[in-house]
Amino acid sequence: MKYDAIVIGGGHNGLTCAAYLARAGRRVLVLERRHVLGGAAVTEEIFPGFKFSVCSYVVSLLRPEIIRDLDLPRHGMELLPLDGTFTPMPNGDYLWRVNDHEKTRREIARHSRLDAEAYDEYGRAMVEMGRFAKPILAMTPPDPTKLDPRGLLDLLSVGKRFRGMRPHDRINQVQLLTMSAVDFLDQWFETDVLKATMSASGIIGTFLGVKSPGTAYVLLHHYMGEIDGSFRSWGLSRGGTGAVSNAIGDAARRFGAEIRTNTPVARILTKNGRATGVALENGDEFHADTVVSSVDPRHTFLRWMDEKELPPDFVEGVRRYKFRGSSGKVNLALDGLPNFTCLPGTGSHLRGAISISPSVDYMERAYDDAKYGRFSRRPYIDIVIPSLTDTSVAPPGKHVMSCFVQYAPYELRRESEETRRDGEETRREREEARREPGEHEWDRQREAFGDTVIDTIAEHAPNIRDLILHRQVLTPLDIERDFGLSEGNIFQGELTLEQLFFLRPVPGWAQYTTPVRGLYMCGSATHPGGGIMGAPGKNAAERILKG
Amino acid sequence: MAMTPARYDAIVIGGGINGLTCAAMLGKAGLRTLLLERRDAVGGCAAEHELAPGFRVPTLAHRTGPLRADVVNDLRLADHGLSFVTRPVRVTALAPDGRALALFSDATAAVGAIRPWSRHDAGAWPAFAQSLGRVADVVGTLFTRTPPDVDDPGAHDLWTAMRTAGAFRRLPKDDAWRLLRWGPMAVADLVSEVFETELLRAAVAADGLLGGMMGPWSAGSGLQLLLHEANHSVAALRDAEVEGGPIAVSRSLEAAARRHGVAIRTHAEVAQVIVRGDRAVGVTLTSGETIESRAVVSGLDPKRTFLSLCDAEHLPPEFLWRIRRVRTRGTLAKVNLALSALPAFGEATRQMLAGPVRIAPTLDYLERAFDHAKYGEWSREPWIELTIPSIVDASLAPAGAHVLSAYVQWVPNSVGSRESGVGSRKPGGEPPSGGDVPSEASRRATASETDGIFDTVLATLERYAPGLRGLVVASQCITPADMEGEWGLSGGHIFHGELALDQMLMMRPLLGFGHYRSPVDGLFLCGSGTHPGTGLTGGSGANAAHVIAEALR
Repeated sequence: MKYDAIVIGGGHNGLTCAAYLARAGRRVLVLERRHVLGGAAVTEEIFPGFKFSVCSYVVSLLRPEIIRDLDLPRHGMELLPLDGTFTPMPNGDYLWRVNDHEKTRREIARHSRLDAEAYDEYGRAMVEMGRFAKPILAMTPPDPTKLDPRGLLDLLSVGKRFRGMRPHDRINQVQLLTMSAVDFLDQWFETDVLKATMSASGIIGTFLGVKSPGTAYVLLHHYMGEIDGSFRSWGLSRGGTGAVSNAIGDAARRFGAEIRTNTPVARILTKNGRATGVALENGDEFHADTVVSSVDPRHTFLRWMDEKELPPDFVEGVRRYKFRGSSGKVNLALDGLPNFTCLPGTGSHLRGAISISPSVDYMERAYDDAKYGRFSRRPYIDIVIPSLTDTSVAPPGKHVMSCFVQYAPYELRRESEETRRDGEETRREREEARREPGEHEWDRQREAFGDTVIDTIAEHAPNIRDLILHRQVLTPLDIERDFGLSEGNIFQGELTLEQLFFLRPVPGWAQYTTPVRGLYMCGSATHPGGGIMGAPGKNAAERILKG
Repeated sequence: MAMTPARYDAIVIGGGINGLTCAAMLGKAGLRTLLLERRDAVGGCAAEHELAPGFRVPTLAHRTGPLRADVVNDLRLADHGLSFVTRPVRVTALAPDGRALALFSDATAAVGAIRPWSRHDAGAWPAFAQSLGRVADVVGTLFTRTPPDVDDPGAHDLWTAMRTAGAFRRLPKDDAWRLLRWGPMAVADLVSEVFETELLRAAVAADGLLGGMMGPWSAGSGLQLLLHEANHSVAALRDAEVEGGPIAVSRSLEAAARRHGVAIRTHAEVAQVIVRGDRAVGVTLTSGETIESRAVVSGLDPKRTFLSLCDAEHLPPEFLWRIRRVRTRGTLAKVNLALSALPAFGEATRQMLAGPVRIAPTLDYLERAFDHAKYGEWSREPWIELTIPSIVDASLAPAGAHVLSAYVQWVPNSVGSRESGVGSRKPGGEPPSGGDVPSEASRRATASETDGIFDTVLATLERYAPGLRGLVVASQCITPADMEGEWGLSGGHIFHGELALDQMLMMRPLLGFGHYRSPVDGLFLCGSGTHPGTGLTGGSGANAAHVIAEALR
């Protein structure tokens, strides 16, 4: 059977791309390695009765036009509000921001009157920034070294809109692209815990600290979801994030796409510099003139292709593309609800996100550990308890708790007698150590990492230890092994300036195309990057349909 | 109040390298110019003093930026005593085991020196050096002009943009992409892509880390390396050092300024810029004396200029709010030593020690040294760049004796104070009252802290040159707080403000004010806090002089 297009990987971007291609009348085949669809946006019943959004756990960035075009609610997608962010503090106080504006203002004023005022200003400024950035999300990045008329027009339109902004917003925009999250927030706020919690969204998925320049941009990345009006905050998907993927999958099927699970790809087939199809691990082959990979560039080009089929500078670019997973995940099945010392009881503060980010220095020290190859002794943790909002995911009276943990560096330093004595091991030595075959250091330190996470939570909610029925610890290594995300980076590659827009993933190849004719990329490693956004999949489909 | 009869076209405040350059160029343009210096001599950071009888040390700066070609040529500094010596070694990096790696200016010699460390790196060096040079040349095209105005681009701005775009398009494609990628990168990533030897990686990366609040893993530190290299691309002579060090630059600039009719007054501290009818019309000195002029040019940093010398009522509140937030977190300390003999730094030869020498064996060493600064502590194992100028110029010390000058990083100005932020006030909010001067640091290091910093430096030097401690005849430790107090550098920042991505080009010091002008007519800036502001190159002063001369025509 011959298809028009084969999409490798059934994550939300692969499925989105497939759905748009099928909607345009193409015969599309999606090949997913695992038994479930969704990639990192997946729901799995890891322990009987407990359903986990194993990796990605909140939804906000999903483009509204995709929801509309693919009619996702009709295919079973339902978003539930995740109200507020609760930050416990070691001094017995807390910071609790909710969607109710007045309430949040009063709460912040409790910490600082000035900050309560500044909070409104800040929100308005960020909405402006988001408005500026939004059209860029849907744009195919131009090539600045070629600058054909079309690309020039695109760049000019960005420039024109930049000039059209109020001077103030223009300054903010530049700062957002270049400053550290803390420096950026310092301009507005004085409350340490507020800055710490807000800056946390600047570091998610990157190997940077809240004081590292460039992290302010990721603040925006996390604000973009808030500007579409329909849903002004982060939300949960009923039935877990897998339900979003399944809805997109169902939409794709309805448009005629064929989707196969348990079908791992082994090679991308080419002939005379053209993609002709894929070969599976079991030897089967499927043929199509268009092959689209939603999997990251390292897998796509270095594993499924022969380097000789690709220009050397492109291969070099793929090799240089940085993943550097920095986060882990601990999923807990609980017998009851955690009780926070600073705000006892099972109130609605547990229904939103619970952020372990008590101070800016706490966040930065967590990063310092990671820089030298250790998981944070006291990590930043973002906790949600979806079973409070969506009873379908846990047995009655029981709960699922999802803990996103940073930092957990992929390159972990060896904890042996020798290194403890010498103290120093350079990043280079760690890189080399990893290339040695055999057991990975994370296999030795996985449970210690899980213990650290529980210990950290227990400092704020001591009863947590007694509630744990089951625990799943996902290290960056596990995320790589189980979900195919190289080095466990949740965004398929770091969202740093030198890997954004026309530099993502490889300079000169940011337009969803590759040096192989008929082979395209549509994953989070392409513009505009990661998160359950769907934009790379949709943009790529548009690029492919243009021919 | 006394009123001097003399009327000037321009008064330049501050006799640092940029103030001198600007004044000399204004004088050359036929403008009656007066330069006012608070201290007893001009030169600013490019100064020299006698640390002990017979020992003369470069007080702050121990090398220049390097000096820009147009400054040297337009002011004919060679006629005023300036001469260059080429340095065979760009930098020498010391390893903890006593070995030393000299990066020779000559590519073949450099390759030879790197080869024992790594064949791969020796092979990669020439291409890297060339590529970096080509990329820096494009960045350099931006240095000699006023940065383009994004609000209201005129013919000049389009010309600048096109010149740079042209230089960019002429780059080989690989280099064009490198320019786009390298700028925002962490310099540690940049060097790690090219080299495998940690000592070499750290030696190259350190070029981009002087003076600022950035470690090698800070994104955007790649740009610092490009800026540093771009200085060389617009320099009078690549890989050349001014004979006699920074003080020789001050002296020749002073001579050139006088020759062009500039009046220079020392011990003349400006108390306030006089603004009449929204125009700067002169200055008042702390002595009470008032001097009138058509324009006032400040070589001081933007914070000091607008927050200390100007009355807040003449400046828009939002402008003041933004000026307060210019990041000026000084992180460099300076140690000067008078030594009874030349210390032995492992296997480093006398030739290797004649240029800048770096103690920063690995990228992680650099990063660890930076970590402390983030929490307001000084680094316990600092990275040090030292020079021993008496090797080249024996007159600086008694026979057989030497002077050693060390830049020490990171020593944040906020040592002891745990404050991370700069307080808070939202944009457009109430303008702060006059007394609310930014307090990024502003707490002088105590004597015991200065002693602690000094001991740390000496202990670090001792590790690389055992026995050095016993050679010390006299010593001096200057902290960022001293630089703020005695040299008037806000925050103790040697560049008048961090060279971060959001504080350079048309954003230096502020977006909308990147053209040496200010909200007050007739009040200009010419210091390092303006574009390009990358150290003692005279670049800001020269660029500003063009704008000011044009405005006063």
